[in-house]
Amino acid sequence: MSHLHLPDGVVPVWLWAPALLLVLVLLALSNRSATPQTVAYQGALGGLMLAAMAIPLGPLDYHLTLAGPVGILLGAAGAFPVVFVASAILAFLGHGGLTSVGLNTLMLGGAAAVSRGAFFLLVRRLGPAWAMALASAAGQVVAALLWIGIVGITLGLAPRTAALTKAAPRLELLAGLALVLWIVGTLIESVVAFGIGRFLARVHPALLPALAAAPAEEAA
Amino acid sequence: MIALIARMDHHASLGTTPWHRAGALGKLLLAAGVIGLAVASPSLVLLACIHGLAWLLVATSGLPGRVVVAAASYPLVFVAMVVASRWDGTAATPLLLVLRPLTCSLTAVWLVGTTPYPDLFAPLSRVLPRNVGDGLFLTYRALFALLARTDHLRQALRLRGGASGSARRRLALAGEGLGTLVVHGFERSQRLYSAMRLRGHSGRICGCRHFARRSGADLWVGMAALALVTAGVLLWSAP
Repeated sequence: MSHLHLPDGVVPVWLWAPALLLVLVLLALSNRSATPQTVAYQGALGGLMLAAMAIPLGPLDYHLTLAGPVGILLGAAGAFPVVFVASAILAFLGHGGLTSVGLNTLMLGGAAAVSRGAFFLLVRRLGPAWAMALASAAGQVVAALLWIGIVGITLGLAPRTAALTKAAPRLELLAGLALVLWIVGTLIESVVAFGIGRFLARVHPALLPALAAAPAEEAA
Repeated sequence: MIALIARMDHHASLGTTPWHRAGALGKLLLAAGVIGLAVASPSLVLLACIHGLAWLLVATSGLPGRVVVAAASYPLVFVAMVVASRWDGTAATPLLLVLRPLTCSLTAVWLVGTTPYPDLFAPLSRVLPRNVGDGLFLTYRALFALLARTDHLRQALRLRGGASGSARRRLALAGEGLGTLVVHGFERSQRLYSAMRLRGHSGRICGCRHFARRSGADLWVGMAALALVTAGVLLWSAP
């Protein structure tokens, strides 16, 4: 659910156009700190995000996003271009519209940024595996809130209260389905993030930001 | 969905239709025009015409029917939600809501299915910030290597008992497997960076200039663009 699958022509222009503009500004800002070396690493993790999306997780084409782990590993400025590129490549395949690339990026980028912050808060107390799991869950919550806001606006809930009387049961059903999917999806993302954190702490702790400076034995 | 990338990429590189021979820049502009007009069109008649044009583009691109249907029908799931919420008893509203995204996804499929990715990304990388432009190339390149490794990883997990036990254990093991891909990706990026420096990387991947090359096949793109503009002018005020 954290991944917005809004196609073209559904989201109002006044919503997607400023979002795209904001994303382009943020991308230009993130470009300041980018070196060719970090861009190569970002490309590898972007490929990993897309490859992870190829792992099917049941019906309705639900898949992992790895926004949390990618945000933790790269930071907000590093994860933002990765999320944008992944969203753009998906949009070229009709997986979300080209016009909603900005909204997708803001949502997944927001999840990545929150995950990074939450990881730094939790890693000393809980260790890298649990910190990565809970930080990913926090990112999923933010992404879900943004998703609900965007879909709510797109479906025109606020200005159509009269027409809603007839459609309300359908919308409640959809909202219920989305909530169930989100809970399941958040659990899956968190457990997978736990595995990634556990593996990296054992094998390559230098890749985990808060542990990069710490001795390897402390990380293990 | 991701498996579609490989099939469409293969077709984009090996296809022989006039669309494949046409320059990428013209096709990008045409696709932007079709999507822009489809999204902005206030008229159902105009939208139906643009939709017909999108089908014509796809039908003449030689893409396999299954690939087209799989890629183009994806938006319909979400559109069903929107149609249900905006149902007003008329046929026009659901038609508008269905035709817009379907036209756009068909156009995107046509573009990606007839344009090899270096030609598609090269013009985009010139207008996007450097890290994003380079990221498009590097991500796309890394994807295929990682897809193969992901498949091997799934097989290895299954053979070594990673597919048994509780869901929590299986998912945590899958996460550890993805952790190996993170480490692999990091090491790969280091090697890639070294190779880029050795080959005289100037600080930016610009891609080839094939995208701006002109050929006789561009005439078809021009005709399609002309049809689009004509439809837009004549039918903008239609119901």
